[in-house]
Amino acid sequence: MRGKTRYTLFALLIVLALAVGACAGATPTPKPAAQPTKAPAQPAAEQVTLTIIMEEVPDYDIVAKLAPKFEAEHPNIKIKFDAMPYDAMRDKILTSFMAPEATYDIIIVDNPWMDEFSLADFLTPLDDYIAQTPGYDFNDFVAPIREIGVVNGKIYGVPYYNYALGLIVRQDIFDEKGIQVPTTLEDYLNTVQSLTDENKSFYGAAMQPQRGYKIFEEWKNWLYAAGGNLMDEQGNVILDNDAGKRALSMYIEAYNTAAPPNSLNWGFDEALRSMASGQAATMLSYNWMLPTLNNSEGPAGDLAGKFALYPVPGGKAVLGAWHWAIPHNSKNKDAAWAFISWLTSKEVDKERVIMGGAPTRASVMNDPEVWEKGYGKDYYQTVLKILDNSEPLARGPKAEEIIQVVGTELNAAVAGEKSVDQALKDAADKVREIVGRK
Amino acid sequence: MLDKRTTAKTFRGVPFPYRLLAPMIILLVAVLIYPLLFSLWISLHDYTLTRLQDVRFVGLANYLGLLRNDDYWTAMRNTVTFVVLAVGLEFLLGFSLALLLQRRLPFRDVFRSVLLTPMFITPIAVGLMFRFLLNSQLGIIPYILREGLGISVDWFGPRLALYSIILIDVWQWTPFMLLLLLAGLESLPKEPFEAARVDGVSGWQMIRHITLPLMRPIIMAAIIIRMLDAFKVFEYVYAITRGGPGNRTEVIQYHIYRVGFRFFRMGEAAAMAYTLVLVMLVLTIALVYAMRKEVTS
Repeated sequence: MRGKTRYTLFALLIVLALAVGACAGATPTPKPAAQPTKAPAQPAAEQVTLTIIMEEVPDYDIVAKLAPKFEAEHPNIKIKFDAMPYDAMRDKILTSFMAPEATYDIIIVDNPWMDEFSLADFLTPLDDYIAQTPGYDFNDFVAPIREIGVVNGKIYGVPYYNYALGLIVRQDIFDEKGIQVPTTLEDYLNTVQSLTDENKSFYGAAMQPQRGYKIFEEWKNWLYAAGGNLMDEQGNVILDNDAGKRALSMYIEAYNTAAPPNSLNWGFDEALRSMASGQAATMLSYNWMLPTLNNSEGPAGDLAGKFALYPVPGGKAVLGAWHWAIPHNSKNKDAAWAFISWLTSKEVDKERVIMGGAPTRASVMNDPEVWEKGYGKDYYQTVLKILDNSEPLARGPKAEEIIQVVGTELNAAVAGEKSVDQALKDAADKVREIVGRK
Repeated sequence: MLDKRTTAKTFRGVPFPYRLLAPMIILLVAVLIYPLLFSLWISLHDYTLTRLQDVRFVGLANYLGLLRNDDYWTAMRNTVTFVVLAVGLEFLLGFSLALLLQRRLPFRDVFRSVLLTPMFITPIAVGLMFRFLLNSQLGIIPYILREGLGISVDWFGPRLALYSIILIDVWQWTPFMLLLLLAGLESLPKEPFEAARVDGVSGWQMIRHITLPLMRPIIMAAIIIRMLDAFKVFEYVYAITRGGPGNRTEVIQYHIYRVGFRFFRMGEAAAMAYTLVLVMLVLTIALVYAMRKEVTS
C-alpha cells in the first residue's frame, strides 16, 4: 500500500514537472485582436510613457536635463529613465528583447553590441523614420560613428555620444622641457620614458592594462599605430602578425618603464586620477576627459588648464560610440522615434554639446557658438580630427566576446604570464574559433 | 468550475499527509525541479540567446567540448585552489578561536559578537570594501605598509591576486566556522575531559586525543558546508579583479557567468554548471553521510 502511494506521488511529480515545462516552453500564441476597431485609433490623443534604459554617466545627466523640454513640446509623451551602471545593462536589455512586451521603448547600444543585436532582429530599422523626418540630416553625423549604426545596409541606431580615444598630455611639462608631442609610436615610447622620474614618483604614461575591455581599448591604438589590426579587409585574423607583436612589445616596455608601479589592474578612472594628481605626464583616454581635467572645480584642482588633447600617436584612433535604438518589441515606436529624433536633431544636439555632451555631429563641432559657449575652437576641431580618422573598437556579432578574450591574453602578456608571441597566438586562435563558430 | 464536493472527490484517493504536502511539492517543482530539468535540457542543445529561432540538439557536445577547453580547466583549478586554501585557513582560525572563546574569558560575549560581524555584510560589499582598502593608490593598507614598514605589496598583481581573494573570504567566513565549531565544543560531554584531567593529560594531548575525535562529525559538517558555499565564490572576483590578471582569478562561477550572460552561449554555460552540480553533489552526499554517522555514534 505504502509503495503504491509513493509510486503515485512520483508519477504526479513527473506529470507536474512536464506540465509546468510545457507551459513555460510553449511559444506564446498570438493573442486575438482585442476589439474590432470601431473608430480609427488616434495616437496623438493617447498618453504614452517611454521607458529608456541609460548608463549612469555625465552624458546621461545632460539628456535627463533636456527631457522636460521635450515633454513640454509633446504633452502626450512622458519620459521615464532607468539609469544603471554599465555592467547591469547588457542582461537587462536582452531580457527586455525576449519579453513578450518590451520593458524599454528606447535603449542605448554600445558599439560592440550593435551588429549582434541587429543581426538577431532585436532592433527596429530606422531608415523609413529617418527619411520621413524633415531636416534630420543623418549624413551630418561624422562618418565613422554613423557607420557603426548601419548593419547590412540598414540603419539600426543613431549616434548618442562618442568615446573615441585621444592623447591627453600635460602641456605645461612639454612646453617647459621644449619637447614636441609625439606623433609616432617610437616617439611616444621614447618621450614617456624620458619623462619618467621614479625618484619623484612621476611617470610618463598612466596606462590602463586592466584585463578585458580596458586593455583592449587602449592597446588597439598602439596596434593601429604599428600598422596592424584585428582582422584584414577580408576578415582574416591578423592580430598575431609582426605589427601586432611590435605593438604589444612596445606597450609592455612602456608599462614596465614609464607607467606607475602596480597599475596592472587600472582602468580609465585610476589613470584619470593619476593624471589629475600630477603623477603622470600623458594618457590615452576618452577625448572628453580633457574638459573634466581642465575644469578648475574638477578632480585636477590647481593643475586644471594645463592639459591638452591631441590625436593618438600614429593618428588613427579607436572609436567607441553609443547609439539610440528602438527594440523590435516596443509598443511605442512612433513616440520613441519622436524623442530620439528630437534629441539628436541639429538644434537640440547643439544644446546638448554646449552643456558638455560628447559631440557626434560635424555641424555642431564646426559651430562658432558651440566653440564660444563650450570648450573652445581647438578642442572641437581636435575632436573632429580624431573622429574623422577613427575605427570602431570591434565589429561583428561576436565583438563582445572577442574584446574580452583578446583583452585577457593581452593582460596576461603584460603581467608576464605569457610571452608576446604566445599571448598573441592564443588570442588569434581564440578569435578564429569565435568567428568560425556559428 | 469545481465546487467543493468535486474537489474533495478528486483528492479522495490521496492520503491526508500528501494532501498537506501538495502545495509545498508544487512550489518545489516550479521553482527548483523545473529550472533544473530545463537547464539540463539547455546543456544538451546549442542554445544561444541571440539565436533562439535556431536551437539545435547537440547531445553531449557541450560536455565533451569542456574536456579540451583550457579556460574551463583553469577556472576549475583556480576554484579548487580557492576552496581548499580558504576553507583550510578558515577551519584552522575558526577552531583556534573556538577553543579560546570556550574558556571563561573576561568580556567573552563581547568578543563573540564582534567576531561574528563580518558574516553579516553582503559579500559584494565586502568585495568593494577590500577593492579600495587594498588599492595601491587609494588604499589604507598599502599606504600603512609603504609609509610605516617600507613594504610595497601588489595585492591584486599576478602573483598575489588569488591569495588576496582567499584572504578576503577568510576574513568574512571564519566567523561562520567559529560559530559552528563553538556550538559543537559546548555540546561535548564533560566527563571524558574531567577523567583525562585526573589522569594528568596535557592541554595539547587533550585536544589531540579527546576534542578532535569527539568533534570529528561536527568538523566534517562545518567544512563541507563551507566548501559548498566556497565553490560559489563570485562576488569578490566580480567586484575586484574580474578574473584577472590574465586568468589568475577566473573562478568557475565567474566563468559560467561570462559565457552565459555576457556571451549568451547558454548551452555551454549550462553544461559547465552541471559539472559543478556533480562536484557539489558528491560533497553533499559526503555531508549527509558525516551527519548520519554523528547520529549513530
